[in-house]
Amino acid sequence: MLTKTMNPEKALKVVGTSPVRPDGVPKVTGLAVYGADTSLPGMLWGKILRSPHAHARIKSINTAKALTLPGVKAIVTGADLPDHKFEYVGPERVAVNYWHLTRNILAREKVLYEGHALAAVAATTPAIAQQALDLIEVDYEILPHVIDVDEAMQPGAPLLFEDMITRGVEPAPAKPSNVSKRLEFSVGNLDAGFAQADEIVEMSFKTAAVHQGYIEPHSCVARYGADGQCELWSASQGHFVVRAYTSKLLGMDVGSLLVHPAEIGGGFGGKTVVYVEPIAVALSKKSGHPVKVMMSREDVLKATGPTSGSSMTVKIGVTKDGKIVAADSTFKFQAGAFPGSPVMNACMCAYACYDIPNSRAVGFDVVSNRPKAAAYRAPGSPISAFGVESVLDVLAKKIGMDPLELRLKNAVKAGSPTAWGPKHAHDGMRETIEALMKHPAYKTPLGKNQGRGVACGYWFNGGGESAATVHINEDGSVVIATGSMDVGGSRASMALMAAETLGIPYEKVRSTVADTASIGYNHVTGGSRVTYATGIAVVDACNKVIDDMRARAAMTWDVNIDDVIWEDGHAKIADKSVGDHTPLSLAAIAAKRAVTGGPIGAEAAVNAGGMAPGFGAHFYDVEVDVETGHTKILRAVAAQDVGRAIHHDYCEGQIQGGVVQGIGWALNEEYIYDKDGRLSNAGFLDYRIPVASDLPHLDVIMVEVPNPNHPYGAKGVGEVNIVPPMAAIANAIERATGTRMTSLPMSPPKVLAAIDSK
Amino acid sequence: MAPAHVVLTSGFSRRYTNGIKEFDIDASNVRGVLKAMDQMYPGLGEILEEETAIAIDGELHEVVYTQVIRPGCEIFFIPRIEGG
Repeated sequence: MLTKTMNPEKALKVVGTSPVRPDGVPKVTGLAVYGADTSLPGMLWGKILRSPHAHARIKSINTAKALTLPGVKAIVTGADLPDHKFEYVGPERVAVNYWHLTRNILAREKVLYEGHALAAVAATTPAIAQQALDLIEVDYEILPHVIDVDEAMQPGAPLLFEDMITRGVEPAPAKPSNVSKRLEFSVGNLDAGFAQADEIVEMSFKTAAVHQGYIEPHSCVARYGADGQCELWSASQGHFVVRAYTSKLLGMDVGSLLVHPAEIGGGFGGKTVVYVEPIAVALSKKSGHPVKVMMSREDVLKATGPTSGSSMTVKIGVTKDGKIVAADSTFKFQAGAFPGSPVMNACMCAYACYDIPNSRAVGFDVVSNRPKAAAYRAPGSPISAFGVESVLDVLAKKIGMDPLELRLKNAVKAGSPTAWGPKHAHDGMRETIEALMKHPAYKTPLGKNQGRGVACGYWFNGGGESAATVHINEDGSVVIATGSMDVGGSRASMALMAAETLGIPYEKVRSTVADTASIGYNHVTGGSRVTYATGIAVVDACNKVIDDMRARAAMTWDVNIDDVIWEDGHAKIADKSVGDHTPLSLAAIAAKRAVTGGPIGAEAAVNAGGMAPGFGAHFYDVEVDVETGHTKILRAVAAQDVGRAIHHDYCEGQIQGGVVQGIGWALNEEYIYDKDGRLSNAGFLDYRIPVASDLPHLDVIMVEVPNPNHPYGAKGVGEVNIVPPMAAIANAIERATGTRMTSLPMSPPKVLAAIDSK
Repeated sequence: MAPAHVVLTSGFSRRYTNGIKEFDIDASNVRGVLKAMDQMYPGLGEILEEETAIAIDGELHEVVYTQVIRPGCEIFFIPRIEGG
């Protein structure tokens, strides 16, 4: 594998290496405990009744027959959950409306998509629970449905909510619609900008909704005690957020719900919300038994969040010498059955790679009869990038400029403006494009029906709330704990940062994820925030412990703490004029912990700011079979500014993972609905995610432009890698065939039809 | 001491400040900025606390009271981002 690390001058000893992950052996030997692996004495099995209709009013639900079935212990419907006030709470992009959320967990007045949950049974065996579902009688009034975002926005489209008035429009519309929200970001003067352009291209695009494709279906076990105390074992991207959502939805005190983090079999954003957890707790409370609820793959695809499908129009103007002078785009996003697509992110990321003086991005959040959208790797950014990066490719061709040269000429740097107001504070885009341009294969000639396409991407990366503890054991080994679920190897990266800070070998650090009663709040593992924010908490806790150990050494030597430094895992005298003492190792200080004051440990909590964005630039070589329309990826090269690779191989793996998911989004993945609004491909045989044989060797170039706000320079690495692939592959197909694809996925039938229509 | 230059998005200014987007505020930390905004538009401080992130000379931060505001810096309140 060609892996090139820029800025190789590393004074670090442990950070940047690639040791085996702490959870590696349990995972490869089958000992790791995932959400579905927990079983408790007296446990019941929960099953969920789901709507067969895309849109219907629930006239009645009769559970009487099901309750008489021997072995059935409890049944819950929406009426068993407390209702909530209709209000949007929290940050705009992810504002939660618990009136909506409780209706997504269990439908009340209407079912809004096929697979919408509306009742659940707890029984002594899975078979009895399934049999009971068949005995629940639901009287539906079937309503017309709408799937496509453009159709959902049309006047006269079936309304999911008869009282939904579009937010963000003034004066407010007089009539309800499926448009939940309109938003806009603009800078400069569009007319003046386009007037300067020598070439203007305006195109329309559509993208399909795609699922995160995690291998492990949602599952959990709940045990609700007679004392009102509840424990929940759940695989999620954030057990503190599971606790917050579940307790709020069920009207419980946060402190009465303890959530244990199970190992997670993939999330990619899709496990930052709850589906089965409130149902399992409600069933456990009602039955008095522990209850396990597991989704099937069909459930996952029909009822959990994909990212949005979209419809968009992008218009960009450039001068002959390649300066982008204006951009104007409209993005319409499927939110699914309830408001909350990532269209705001799409608008903010659309032009974020480039210094564009005049721009506007308008977004629409639109409901339709599909499962509610959830986060997926850099939510929103890949979608707007598909349109913007495709149009840039057309413009590069029109002015006769290398497509990476065009991007480099306009690349942002610290001080460049953004479309949403503030200036960029960090470099990295130019360095990333330059690294990609230097890749030896970028100029390699291609053959017949082959093409090379490029694209860039932007993601904010996250900070926020995290907590960590560090404890020194009596033999000098160290235990660290955080509340950040380990999705992509964060236990290893936390251990590396702790080892580097303390000056001890990685192998001396045991890195764990603690439950919600054992450590302070940690926000979700998402937004590429954990290595940054939780990493800062770990380093802060280590530094507190170092101060404590310096104080204990000073006490031992009868000197002032200011005369003691910490270096290479030892307390040392800073200036021998105060005494000549043999350095004390961490293990030596730990061995004397009792007489020097007791256990050595510290907790640190942060709300980390100063995060720096991720920039990506990719190229793909493809070969298109003009007889079948099949696109083969011959080469994929992804350059990404990671700030600093804390665990080298896992950073590389994150980038490769994003590339693979992007290839699936580009070429195959889509939801196929029949005329009744039912999903026709709810399984991995028909919902086609990439497999190893679809993929070429994936080259990664890790560019390191460190973030000075992180102790080791980390920026976050998990998301921006999925932004460029769709556009880059579309651009490659155009170079191979002369056919511009404007609709995802670029599956063989669609590519063949486009070629044939030329 | 030069005041900080505070900017709201069009959406926030339309909803909460009668369309006024820019303000000059003397404050040494984020708490001071929020307090000043709340004095001008009662209730706005809490809304900014709950719904926004803050860019100080382009550097993105969560809204945290103790975050230092340098004299003359540019502050944008922007929508808070969540990722996947």
